[in-house]
Order: sequence, then structure tokens, then C-alpha cells
Amino acid sequence: MKRISLKWPLIALSSTFAFILFVVPLYGAAAYSFKGNGGKGHSFANYQWLIHADGFYPSLFTSLKLAVLAGVLNLLLMVPTMVYLNLKGQKFKPLVDFLCILPLIIPVVSLAIGAQVAMPEFLQNTEYELVFFFVIIALPYTYRALDTSLQTVALKTLVEASRSLGASWTRTIIRVIVPAIRSGITGALFLTFALSIGEYTITSLLHWETFPTWTVVAAQQNILGAIAISVFSFVGAIVLLTAIALFSKKRVQQVEVEA
Amino acid sequence: MSKKDRVSSTLELRGVSRHFGSVKALDGLDLVVEPGELVALLGPSGCGKTTALRIVAGLEVATSGELLVNESRYNEVPASERDMGMVFQSYSLFPNLTVSENIEYGLRARKIDADKRKKRVDRMLELVGLSVKAKAYPHQLSGGQQQRVALARALAIEPRVLLLDEPLSALDAQVRGQIREEIRRIQLELGITTLFVTHDQEEAMAISDRVGVMSHGKLEQIDTPIGLYNAPATPFVASFVGQANRIPAQITAKGKARVLNQKVNISENAGNFEEGQSVNVIIRPELLEIVSESDTDATRGIVALKSFLGPMTKIGIAVEGAPLIHLNIASREVRKIEIGEKIAFKISSDEVMAERV
Repeated sequence: MKRISLKWPLIALSSTFAFILFVVPLYGAAAYSFKGNGGKGHSFANYQWLIHADGFYPSLFTSLKLAVLAGVLNLLLMVPTMVYLNLKGQKFKPLVDFLCILPLIIPVVSLAIGAQVAMPEFLQNTEYELVFFFVIIALPYTYRALDTSLQTVALKTLVEASRSLGASWTRTIIRVIVPAIRSGITGALFLTFALSIGEYTITSLLHWETFPTWTVVAAQQNILGAIAISVFSFVGAIVLLTAIALFSKKRVQQVEVEA
Repeated sequence: MSKKDRVSSTLELRGVSRHFGSVKALDGLDLVVEPGELVALLGPSGCGKTTALRIVAGLEVATSGELLVNESRYNEVPASERDMGMVFQSYSLFPNLTVSENIEYGLRARKIDADKRKKRVDRMLELVGLSVKAKAYPHQLSGGQQQRVALARALAIEPRVLLLDEPLSALDAQVRGQIREEIRRIQLELGITTLFVTHDQEEAMAISDRVGVMSHGKLEQIDTPIGLYNAPATPFVASFVGQANRIPAQITAKGKARVLNQKVNISENAGNFEEGQSVNVIIRPELLEIVSESDTDATRGIVALKSFLGPMTKIGIAVEGAPLIHLNIASREVRKIEIGEKIAFKISSDEVMAERV
């Protein structure tokens, strides 16, 4: 009896589900974002409203600035920590792993209020306090991204080789470890950036204005404009993802060509 | 960098120990490597040879004892300031750097100017015969080529001492032989003091000026390869270095024993045994010779194994009351011998090593 292969029907079924769940709503949102005034016709009116809306550029700039700072701070904190844990501090790994998971367990309200009280006063009065919150909420993801990457390289021997050749710890981390775990670092950076730029709850609780909080307020004034904002955010995220993917790919190709 | 340009260093370990909890990985190791000498540390896994090398490199801290380079204490000197070139078993080349950049790495860390760096890298590439691969990345090289780059990288910094941590273990047999000879050629050319750790006795014997055999964190014996092979100081050395038959024997008088109905003299290094005591004598396969069946002093047995090893063939002889006894015979002479055939053999050595049962 001829065996019936389920491969292609399953692929077709999952593709259909993916299409219904992801593509249709996105298409719908994109189509609506181009509706004219009163929902009639097609135009760029909603996007024009968006870019001319009060607070659009300042909130977007604030979010981008804080997200970049959070990404950099997270890497400065986590790369040396993860290298130490994988090299010499194996016994501390479960503890650090647990600490890094806490942001997922502790309710955001408790985290925001509790952590703010613990912060130095000069930080409490600036929007830069959000950078520290963004780093905290990204910890569970950066821990795993970096740990997975570090476990795929022969970290100990690479470090020993570098040290025996006379390199300092700083040089060893910058010239040997960082390039060896570039994929993990890129992933950690992107996750922190994405989480930071989309973070709403803590920012709102602490009364700061970033792009997500501005979006909520702006959306209440113009429903089609709100859809334009979500499409704009989505396209922005796609562009960013693609740029990072292309950058990583280009680096790999460059290495191959040079060789 | 040539032999004339550099002054070789003396490396000395005085009573160096390394304990991991209750485990004594290294137990009071004393060792001196003279300038320009290549000393191999040989021993089974867990004997402490790699720990000793890592202590010299500064990658491990000694629990007690002193490490001296040219009479200066080095215990507290960090690994990055020891000026020791190390070649690892797993190559440990930096995957993101080209061959040239890998070799240049230690020179950049020392802030040597660009012209000198380039000259030194070119010289090293020439030394290991990889000038054409200067721009290649490690993943584009074979295992042997990668280990050559690792050697060039370690030598580029003009180290006081070259440390080789089982550098040939990951290579296939043919490449291993080539790289082994290359290491020795370069070591002699540069006259660099070298400590070489291996568990492969053939490797150690082939390229070392002296070989130190280690067991349980201690140095059992250190001697030239020939001295070690012909005059082992302990039963462990006798059985670990080269092939050996362990055959039950009986002490008949001081320094004498009877084994396989033949009389042998026991080496003084074996220690004292009492008359009538049961011992195992250790006899190398080449010290057993096949004789005529009519020889009344010979031991008789049946050929149970015949294993072709190229120029030599290993013969296993089953003798009553003894484990299978191995002999090595030139392959061209072995054609007449068949499995199951009766055979007579004698011990041709004046002196053998013995150990307590």
C-alpha cells in the first residue's frame, strides 16, 4: 500500500494559519492606515498627521536614545559578567540565572515603584532612570542569548591563549571574546533595544513620556492615526531587524572574501 | 629571531605541588630544564603533567613550591607577563583573525611597532612554511596547518620558554609525524628552552633531549630517552615506557630470580626482595629471542597471536602458568611461524626489572 505523505498538507495548513493570523491583520491595518478623512478614499493623511503631531519626534527620539543606552549598558554589564560566570564562576551561575529571571516574576508595578525608591535621587529626577529599568527587564533574555553563545565557543582555551600571549583582560574581551560571540551580542542588543523601545507600563507608572506612552495618548485623538502609528512601528521594527541581519551577514561575507 | 639573537632561559620547579581539595594533582615536583633543552613530561592521564605545564604558564597557581626562570621567582608573575609561548592541544587560534593576525596578536599586545611586527610575522610564516596562507582564516586550514600557526604565534613573541601541551594529539598519524619533526627542527634552530607534555611515549622519545616520566603527581624518573628505555629506575617506568611483558617469577637469591625456568639477574633499581618471594619480572619483547627447539635451556610455548606491524611482527606465545608473552620479530623472518605452532624462546637480557606482586 502506498504511504500517504503528510508533509505537504501540514505545510499548507500551517502556512494558511500563519497567513490568517499574521498577514491578514497586518494587511488590514496597513489598508486602514491609508484611508482618507472619514474613512473614505486612500491617502497619506494619517501619516502626515503622525509626523506633524505634537510630541512625535521628541518622544521617538527619547525612546531611541534610551533604547540605545539600555542596549549599551546591558552589554557592558552582562558580557563581562557572563564571561566570568562561564570561566571561573560556574558555581554562581544558578544564582545569577535566578536573579536574571526575577524581572519576569516580580509584578511590573512592584518593580517600578520598588526599584525607583532604591535609586539615587539625581537619577529619579531624569528620564535616564528608565535606562536602568530597561536593562532590568531585558536581563532574562540577554542572559540566555549570551550564555548560549558563550557555550558554543572554547572560551577557556581562547582566553588562556590570549593571556599567555601577553594580552590584558580588556584586550582579551574586546579582541577575542566579543568577536567570538558576536551573534549572541547582536541578539542581546536587539532584544534589549526592542524591549526598551516598546516598554509602556514602567514608563507610564513613572510618568515619563516615550514613544509608547505618547502613542497611547495620540491614538485617543485619531483612530486611523493610531493604526498608522502601529504600522509605522511595525515597519520600523522590520527595517531594524533586516538591517541587523544584513549587517551580520555582510560581516560574514567580508570575512569569507578577505580569506 | 635566530639562535644567536636570543638568550635561552633556565626553567626550574622546586617542590611544586598543586592540590585540588584532597586530590594531589602535583606532589612536590622538582625539575630543571636547561637553556635550549627540550624536556618532555610523559605519563598517563591524571599524572599531573598538564598541571605542571599550566603552573609554569601561569594558568594555574601552585599550592606550594617555587617556580624559577633564570633564578628569578615567577610564582606571582601573571600569565600575561611571563613571556612564555604556549601551544595548546586544541590549537586555540582566534577564529575571527587571519593567520597573520593570529601570529601578530601577541606582538600587538606588547605594543611592538608595525614594521617590526610585519617582519616578525613574515619570519614566523616562513619558519612554519605557511607564507601563502597568511590571509586565510583558521577554519580554512587543516589541523596540521592550524597547529603550525599556533606554534608560530607562540614563537613570535620570542618567549623565554616554549610550552607545548599535547600539541600533536588532535592530528592524524601522518601529520603528527611531520609536525613532530618540525617542532624539533624549529626548537633546535631557535635554541629555545621547551617543556613538552605528552602521553605518547613515541612522541616524547623521538624529539626530546630528556624525558621525565610522571605518576601520581610525582616525577618517577628523568633521563635521556635511551637511558630511560634501557635503565628504568622503577617498575612503573619499565612498564610505561616501551612495551613490556610482566611475567611471574621467584626470587632464588639476592639479585637473582627464576622465570619461565630460566635464570635472570634482577636490576638493583628494583629494590630488595627476599629469597623465595614471588615477583613479576618486566621484560621487553625485543629481549626475548626465538631459539631452536633442541635448546634445552629454552622455554616452550604455542604461538597464539601473530600481528603484522609493518617492519616488525608481534608474536604472542601462550606458556603454561604465565600470561601471553609478546615478542617482536622482523617481519621478513616471521613467515615460517604459524599460529598454533610450537616454539622455543630465551631471555637474552643480562638484567631485568622486577616488582612486588
